[in-house]
Amino acid sequence: MDTKRKYFPPKWADRFLEFYCVPFKLEQIQGDAYELFYLNLEDRGLAYARFRYWIHVLSFFRWSNIKRTKTNYYTSNSTAMFKNYLKIGWRNLLKQKATTFISVFGLASAVGCCLVAYLFIANIWFKGMLQPNKNEIYQLTYTIDEEEGKVTYGTVAEPIAELLSNEFTQIKSQSRVKQGLPILIYQTESFYQRVNYVDPGFMDMFVYRMEYGYPQALTEPDQVILTFELSEKLFGDTHPVGQEISLVTDGEEKRYKVGGVMKKLNDMEIFNFDLLVNLESIESEKPQVSLKQSWDAELWTFVQLEKGVNPAELQAGLASIKKRQNEINSGNPYLSLDLIAYTDLVYQIGKIEKGVRNFLGLGPQILLGAIGLFILILAVFNYINISILMASRRLKEIGVRKVIGSRRGQLIAQFLSENLIVCFFALFIGCLLAIFVLLPGFNQVASKSLKLDLLHDPYLWMFLIGLMGFITLVSGLYPAVFVSGFKPVTILNGNQKLGSKSFMTSVLLTFQFTLAIISIVAGVAFLQTNYLNENRDWGYDNSDKIIVNVPDTKAYFTLKDQISAIASVKEVSGSENFIGNGAEEKEVTYQEQKYEVDYLEAEANYAEVLELRLISGRFLNSNLVSDQTQSLLVNERFMTELGLSFPVEESIVLDSVNYQIVGVVEDFHMTFFQRPIVPMVIRSGSDSIYNYLTLQMSPGTALSAMDLVKKTWREAIPAGLFEGKLQADVFEREFSDVRGIQHIIIFAAVLAVILAAMGLFGLVSLNMNSRIKDFCVRKVFGAGTNELTRKLFKRYLISWGIASILGGCLAFVMVNQFLDSFFAFHSGVGFIPLTTGLLGLLLVIGLTVSSQIFKVMKANPADILKSE
Amino acid sequence: MKGYHLGELEELVLLTVGILDQEAYGVSVLEEIKNQTGRKVNISAIHTVLNRLEEKGFLDSQMGGATEERGGRRKRLFRISASGRSAITEIRTLRNKLYDQIPPLSLDFSHGY
Repeated sequence: MDTKRKYFPPKWADRFLEFYCVPFKLEQIQGDAYELFYLNLEDRGLAYARFRYWIHVLSFFRWSNIKRTKTNYYTSNSTAMFKNYLKIGWRNLLKQKATTFISVFGLASAVGCCLVAYLFIANIWFKGMLQPNKNEIYQLTYTIDEEEGKVTYGTVAEPIAELLSNEFTQIKSQSRVKQGLPILIYQTESFYQRVNYVDPGFMDMFVYRMEYGYPQALTEPDQVILTFELSEKLFGDTHPVGQEISLVTDGEEKRYKVGGVMKKLNDMEIFNFDLLVNLESIESEKPQVSLKQSWDAELWTFVQLEKGVNPAELQAGLASIKKRQNEINSGNPYLSLDLIAYTDLVYQIGKIEKGVRNFLGLGPQILLGAIGLFILILAVFNYINISILMASRRLKEIGVRKVIGSRRGQLIAQFLSENLIVCFFALFIGCLLAIFVLLPGFNQVASKSLKLDLLHDPYLWMFLIGLMGFITLVSGLYPAVFVSGFKPVTILNGNQKLGSKSFMTSVLLTFQFTLAIISIVAGVAFLQTNYLNENRDWGYDNSDKIIVNVPDTKAYFTLKDQISAIASVKEVSGSENFIGNGAEEKEVTYQEQKYEVDYLEAEANYAEVLELRLISGRFLNSNLVSDQTQSLLVNERFMTELGLSFPVEESIVLDSVNYQIVGVVEDFHMTFFQRPIVPMVIRSGSDSIYNYLTLQMSPGTALSAMDLVKKTWREAIPAGLFEGKLQADVFEREFSDVRGIQHIIIFAAVLAVILAAMGLFGLVSLNMNSRIKDFCVRKVFGAGTNELTRKLFKRYLISWGIASILGGCLAFVMVNQFLDSFFAFHSGVGFIPLTTGLLGLLLVIGLTVSSQIFKVMKANPADILKSE
Repeated sequence: MKGYHLGELEELVLLTVGILDQEAYGVSVLEEIKNQTGRKVNISAIHTVLNRLEEKGFLDSQMGGATEERGGRRKRLFRISASGRSAITEIRTLRNKLYDQIPPLSLDFSHGY
């Protein structure tokens, strides 16, 4: 035995083993290795034994034997732990179907609302951002000095586009873009359609997926590319490529062939158009213009730079183009010619005149965002309240877990992972809800074509994942932290008080009630305003009148004569614009003072035909020559604004001509109720051809005579687009817009109330379950229903009271502001919306709580008390 | 229980531990397998299998039996557990059952002629 002890295993191998091996396995492993070493030593000698020892040490170098910083040296069991968490979570959810439903439904509808709001907002901010070349595209802009200071324009002189390719080598493709609204004629139908006149380079720069045909179709000047929507409208099921259409611009008709159809754009493109037309096709028609004139014409110009080219490299070239332009077009000297990145265009709204994007529409965005947020908050609070109460059922589990050695972090992880299940379901159902219910409804109401495009929209995925993380954390963190903070001793002792009386729960509930009140008040106030506006006096008699457009000046008199010949037409009057469509803005001078007024030029009998109500003076008279040149009809507001009283001796200066006020009419709504009534002057024009004809019909015949009027109109103007309508319908579009918003707000209000009620229901029923024995004991001892009811109601009534004060004030301020932003004329937040809000919520609370009280009343104390 | 899933080496080690009774540890299992089957197995593989079998509950273990060859280090002694025993029994019956169903060779001359 002693001889053996002369030799030892290799020292380095031994050290290596000691270095990597898990401490508690080291003894057996090293022991076995030693034993094998001495066996080998005996059999085969020292060298072999040492060699084998090395081999053994290396073969023990396995994952399960290697020392790690974490304490779990066995196979990693954290997957098992998470599996266990998820399984327990899943069972808990199944056990409490009602409360799970409340949480999931609430969160799902919140997700649905948020998705719609997101899509709407993203649709504005990310418009065009799905274009693959977006980072290389730039728009040319120029800055000039004007009276108000420096102004930047999005359009540049047309010839600049031609200079670009001579000047630069870094430009990959370029295109001019010009918008137009010609009449499109296909067979016998005609429509106004939005056209983008572009260069063929447009299709290289911007990538559109095609349904039929190829993007290169645009290289032929006589071919056009349609959007899918237009193609469907025109051709239906027939194959569109090769079909012939014609476009009428300024009375000139030009024929085109359809060269391609794009796939649905879903409103995600930066340009709004129905078809693309080669710009050359309208240029070739134009007579030769002088150099100066061609530099006067301005349009959008886009360039796509080669990959990796810094736009600053083009600075020098742009400066030389600028110099050239200033030489030729000295009347309009550019201060600078710049490139604006395509991706920055949305941030330049309002800074660039005549830009591609000039309207952000913050109002609706804020409205939808607020609704989404409201619903989300309500749902999340529901969830927080319910999960705290639910956790109170699992106090023992928490206590035992803690005693066994769960750390707080692990408990929080457990609750959050359970939460993740709920959120995942909510997200999934929310998406379905958005796709099948909310989006179609919203698209119809807002006449949009939003779509949940999960395949092509990376931003959407980011939003969904972000939303999921956000909801999980916000709704789960507080309950998890709160519940995991208990001491096991108090839990297992049965002393832990929780949930029903928690201060936080009451705060959240009050907040929910407040939100519910605000949304009810908003809904009712909007409804009320709408009702009042629909029945509002327009300031004139809008019945029995038809307006028709006159697109062709040559046919004006024929049309007028023929229409006057219709039996039911009492009188006809021409006007530059019509009441309800808005008017031109002009400046008048009275006693050296300047005033902004609305201005309408019409035939002398226009006011009479429309039955405006005369307050003093007289209407304009077509037989008086002076009325053609120096008389004005004004509205009441004009008189009050200028501080005048009829008759006015002094004259009013309009376009440096003196006018006399001959009559004052009652205020009327020239535009929709979104705009206040402004001072207005009506002048009888000197020329006798107008854009519109207004027909006064015999009472009750307007609707039935419409077809006849249309027929007569067609005979007079065969190639035009008939836009006749009843005077009573001039606000139809605005009304339908407002009705759309009304639907959205009412939907939000109803959803908010349902969520608040469901949250309350969950709270009360969980509360009741844990205290039903208490109530039954009271009942046995003779407590009446009254006392029980009072005891239950008290807490919720306090919450309601606080919420009423808070919500009432907030609603008053917020909803008033909201209405102000929408209407110049509205009912405001008065008695009706406020009381409806407060009492409506009270009713809902009453019903919810009563349903539970009913349960107690019906309960037989014997049944409940005997169960244990 | 759905049944015992044991790999080939696992089964071999489990049986060996059963044979060795109270004296089963890494080296002794290795030697026993070598002696009984002539198979050379790596010591680290034996360790892994022993640990895995213990995790599955087929083996119990305790520390004990320091010797001088081991530099005074203790061995981890393995013992077959009740479920381990039932596992090998079930595997064996299963094997036998399957074996018995193999039809006899067609050139079996004991019948007929």
